Amino acid sequence: MEVFYIDDQPVPFEKGEKILSAALRAGLEIPHFCYHPALSVVATCRMCLVDVTDLGNGRPAPKLMTSCSTDAMPNMRISTQNDKVQEGRELVMEYLLVNHPLDCPICDQSGECTLQDHSYAHGTGHSEMEYNKRVYGWRDIGTFVQLERNRCIHCSRCDRFTREITGTDEFGMFNRGHELTLDTFSDRAMTNHFQGNMADICPVGAITEKEFRFKRRAWKLRKVPSVCTGCSTGCNITIEHDRNEVLRLKPRENQDVNQWWMCDEGRLTYQQMNEREQRLAKPMGRVKGKLLQVTWQQLYDAVADRLEALKPNGEQVVALVDTHSTLEEMFLLRRLLQEVFSSDQVFYPQQDWTQPESEFFIETLITTDKAPNQAGARLLGLKGSQEHDVISAMKSAKLLLVLGNPFINEQPLLDLAGTTELMVHIASRQSEWTDRADAIFPGQNHAEKEGSFLNKQEHWQRFWPALRPSRHVRPEWQILSELLHMGTATPVQQTPQFSQIFQQMTSIEHKLFGNLALEKLGESGISLADLRQQSDTLAQTA
Amino acid sequence: MLEETLVLFRNIRTPGYDGTLDSYRKAGGYQSLPKALAMQPEEVIALVKEAGLRGRGGAGFPTGLKWSFMAKNTGKPSYLVCNADESEPGTCKDRELMLKDPHLFLEGMMIGCYALGCHHGYIYVRGEYFPAIKSLNKAIDDCYREGILGPKLLGGDYELDLTVHTGAGAYICGEESALLDSLEGKRGHPRVKPPFPAVAGFNSCPTSVNNVETLTNVTAILEMGADAYKSLGSPNNAGTHLVSLSGHVNRPGVYEVAMGVGLREIIQELGGGVRGGKQLKGVIPGGSSSPVLRADEIDIAYDFDSVGKAGSMMGSSAIMVFDEDTDVVKLLHRISRFYNHESCGQCTPCREGTHWARQLLRDFLQNNGSERKLNRLQRVGRNMGGTTLCALGDAASMPIVSFLKKFPDDFRQYYATAS
Repeated sequence: MEVFYIDDQPVPFEKGEKILSAALRAGLEIPHFCYHPALSVVATCRMCLVDVTDLGNGRPAPKLMTSCSTDAMPNMRISTQNDKVQEGRELVMEYLLVNHPLDCPICDQSGECTLQDHSYAHGTGHSEMEYNKRVYGWRDIGTFVQLERNRCIHCSRCDRFTREITGTDEFGMFNRGHELTLDTFSDRAMTNHFQGNMADICPVGAITEKEFRFKRRAWKLRKVPSVCTGCSTGCNITIEHDRNEVLRLKPRENQDVNQWWMCDEGRLTYQQMNEREQRLAKPMGRVKGKLLQVTWQQLYDAVADRLEALKPNGEQVVALVDTHSTLEEMFLLRRLLQEVFSSDQVFYPQQDWTQPESEFFIETLITTDKAPNQAGARLLGLKGSQEHDVISAMKSAKLLLVLGNPFINEQPLLDLAGTTELMVHIASRQSEWTDRADAIFPGQNHAEKEGSFLNKQEHWQRFWPALRPSRHVRPEWQILSELLHMGTATPVQQTPQFSQIFQQMTSIEHKLFGNLALEKLGESGISLADLRQQSDTLAQTA
Repeated sequence: MLEETLVLFRNIRTPGYDGTLDSYRKAGGYQSLPKALAMQPEEVIALVKEAGLRGRGGAGFPTGLKWSFMAKNTGKPSYLVCNADESEPGTCKDRELMLKDPHLFLEGMMIGCYALGCHHGYIYVRGEYFPAIKSLNKAIDDCYREGILGPKLLGGDYELDLTVHTGAGAYICGEESALLDSLEGKRGHPRVKPPFPAVAGFNSCPTSVNNVETLTNVTAILEMGADAYKSLGSPNNAGTHLVSLSGHVNRPGVYEVAMGVGLREIIQELGGGVRGGKQLKGVIPGGSSSPVLRADEIDIAYDFDSVGKAGSMMGSSAIMVFDEDTDVVKLLHRISRFYNHESCGQCTPCREGTHWARQLLRDFLQNNGSERKLNRLQRVGRNMGGTTLCALGDAASMPIVSFLKKFPDDFRQYYATAS
């Protein structure tokens, strides 16, 4: 690959690539506003000016060039730090702030604002502008975002987003010159399902999320990488939380899964993570027909006693699992049934789903399968409800284990639950199953525990705990592994670590997961097809 | 005594000529096109190159060279778009051609289309030119009726359609890439170059954008040959050009002169000197965006290179003359107001700078000027130049910088009297 030089540092580039994109790929920062890798180049903010001291042919460029629109050439030499460039940036910064209200104290973007950062790094700190700024009013432009046109620096990313990414053409430029403003057409609110992304790509506080408005300063937020549970796409997200409350979800770039985007529906799943009213907060057991709060030990003992009395055979044990459960939980549940009860009756709600086809990639993000891990259940060989008769299996069941809240709309199954001798519910939220349960093991929600999902394309992704859970709840994988130990009578030395569970799964199911260690499953996950290919080549070389 | 050299205005200056197809034919019209059709397209381009024709829209880029840049064998249609969005203040030459001798221009356009292998040409006319639009449309209708345009160009085997598209009053749509955006039905915004229109222009197809006068000159070149055409002008500035003379002269108007005649002669002899016998103060030699020349700087030849050497530019050959009574602060304020109003707003320096400069100039007019503001105006003006995507930033910058340099005392007078 040929190289050019930025401040004497060699930067490799592909033919036809622009200076800025090659620099960003190499980890070098050139300040910019209007450029975004997903959008077309307009070169209008003029912030990314660089001094091309040698065009690759020994001659310098006659004036400062915008690095976003200038082709990189072999042996080109570029200065991003000299006085000429500094002066150019100061000028652009000064002009950008001419009509910007500088209302950072009341602006949600403050703290994560590109204009703030660049002004601090490249501005002069003072302005000679002494005239009134032009003023526009607030605009309600959609269900998810709000527009403050005064803060706009006219980078036109939002305009290009609706034109090139969603294809909805809802945004446009109005007026000319210093009165230029960006707004929705015909004063209509936007209807696309990806408005939150416009708040993300807006470099300033012009477009902000309504859900997050005035809730927290950006610098208060702590960020944890995670995976969206809204549908089977499994968009990579960052959980942003403070004081044990999730405040918003932001997409995390992953070119294999969601690129830079996520849908608004997915962003709203943060509400479920903060959910308190429906939460199963403490272990409960049914004593003389009434659900009473018990200790964990009492609950385990009681379940053990009942099982001793029931002695169910393999036919008489049924487990229902939610496809919101993680791979590790499904694996442990399957193992529990296999090893303790010699049963393979683990059913999951199988759902037909369609992959929407569209010329716009972003449209393909929303699938009709609203659970994040159906592919995982299928891969682990659990029984899909469409291919197997759950009802007849339930009819002969003495022990029913329900993990999560599956099949809550299937009344026949709910009715049959009442007829089983023992019903165990392991979940973080109440549902119709809770009323019918004899033992309730309170689990943790998505933001509190660790785990991994397999998305619709069998891309394997893990997530990390963000919130601090209540001390009365335990992660589902821990509950299941404790039940497993209880059933096989192996003493539990200490609370297991998630990494151990993960290791167990990948080594027992090494054909599926290639014996992968937890550390190897990075933030952007890994495609199972790639993993298989890797282990195949490993096997061949061995 | 300087006289007009009549090439493009030959018919217009003929008494009784009314610009209809009949009278154009009587005057020897539609004789150049068959000549071109008998040649290979590359030969036509070579001829235009040979004649040394330079674009009359303002930049003075060699037309033959521009045509030879057109991407070939792309599998896409190619287009010739005529830029008739004549909106540089002071310029009114294309209107004369379109209004009074549309066929002369159309013939050049047809030759151009043939040379570029283009089967559909567009004429993007400034929206305010109602009579010119009417005249063009009538001329095109006549051509279709007479079988000149259509599936058989001039009865031959070349298919050509021409369409008149009217602008909506934006100065920026005179910039070629903004013009193409506008023609495509979008908001007229200058595009990032490269790719240049010759590679990806109208609808991403190879496109050449040429000025009305440039294309009209092509007719003349075909008629008189390259050598005769070249002999008309000065070295490297071939042919004649239409000069829009306006301002404080006795006989303002559009005159056709050979390239390289004296600028002072044009003003004195064709324009009849400064109105009312006043003294000349300055001249804007190439439309409002070109740097101003003081009265003592105009003893130069009027062609692209000489005016460039004098620190200004000939642009679209629009000479604006102002006399000793002119308040240059008011004049510059008016010019700045224009660029503030016409800035498309996408680039930061031009969007904010044009408005800022206008506000500063308004301060001077309201007796709020100061030395500090003068320096600031200079800085704001200078900073717009060379930092924007298209040339509008430069166009707004050049008058400010040059006026402040050439007439600093006029600005000082404002705050000197105030204090």
